[in-house]
Amino acid sequence: MNVRVGYSAQLRTSIGRAEEDVELEAGSTLAALIEYLAARLDDAGKGHLVTPEGQIRASLLIVVNEAVTAADAAKSTILKSGDVVLLLPPIAGG
Amino acid sequence: MRPLPELTDDERCRYEWQLSVRDFGEEGQRRLKGASVLVSRIGGVGGSAAMQLAAAGVGRLVLAHGGNLRLDDLNRQLLMTTDWIGKPRVESAHRRLRELNPHVEIETAAENVSESNVAALVGRCDLVVAAAPLFAERLLMNREAVKQNKPLVDCAMYELEGRLTTVVPGQSACLTCLYPEPPANWKRQFPVFSAVSSTVGSLAAMEAIKLIAGIGQPLSGRLLTLDLGHMTFRTLSIARRSDCAVCGELG
Repeated sequence: MNVRVGYSAQLRTSIGRAEEDVELEAGSTLAALIEYLAARLDDAGKGHLVTPEGQIRASLLIVVNEAVTAADAAKSTILKSGDVVLLLPPIAGG
Repeated sequence: MRPLPELTDDERCRYEWQLSVRDFGEEGQRRLKGASVLVSRIGGVGGSAAMQLAAAGVGRLVLAHGGNLRLDDLNRQLLMTTDWIGKPRVESAHRRLRELNPHVEIETAAENVSESNVAALVGRCDLVVAAAPLFAERLLMNREAVKQNKPLVDCAMYELEGRLTTVVPGQSACLTCLYPEPPANWKRQFPVFSAVSSTVGSLAAMEAIKLIAGIGQPLSGRLLTLDLGHMTFRTLSIARRSDCAVCGELG
């Protein structure tokens, strides 16, 4: 299945694009998507998604189909084809 | 509740073009005049927010920002002037805001928000605009605003993007609901055009004006994200967390 993933701010810089389609196995969880994306990145980019221990960062804002989804719900959130996931690392520019 | 101050004829004339804003009127203007707002850091975002609040006629502004003006501040910090390089930022801001609107009382603190001053700073105002470039300061302001039951407008940007939300303690998600753990990867230096930071600051000022005057619908319980690179704006619902370390006990 395909899900569309949008990237914001520093994550967009690390990944080098604003959005892309990602192919996943049917029934994949949101956590699996983020782990897959993290595995493609260098340490600096990965750090926007997961902790050094591999846990999804609680401060990462995750939006699935326009609904904010807590990082601690990522393992129980099953994605389906056509879902739109936005990943927004925290920003504090003032 | 404090009685609202009357407007002078000079003030009625100054604000004439906004007194006709729907649902605002003279009572809204008097509410602004009777209000005080703390702006934490007056850089690209906070400085623009302060300028809009001064123009609108907020009665008292408390500006907190440490350090002296640098040349590389001037691409975005609109309250600063080139002749002020090397001198305290808050003094330049004070001067510029007084020139813009002498009816506004300006108080300055030439220091950033910290554990030692946050209670006093928040205690001097009715509403907080949080625009510091560090999460530690923003989260501290959030904690204290919730503790003192004062609304807080959080406004932030990065490159061509911005985010805003309004915290009404006990009623809507606070910053710690949004960021249960302090963000570890944020770096102090961020890419910025003034056109982006001042847009975000102006939106924050509008939130403050709405909250004070009781007009419109604030961003409480919602997060506005804007991407000026693509000109996309989203408003996302955000919920309080029952396990929030800051506001969870407010029920």
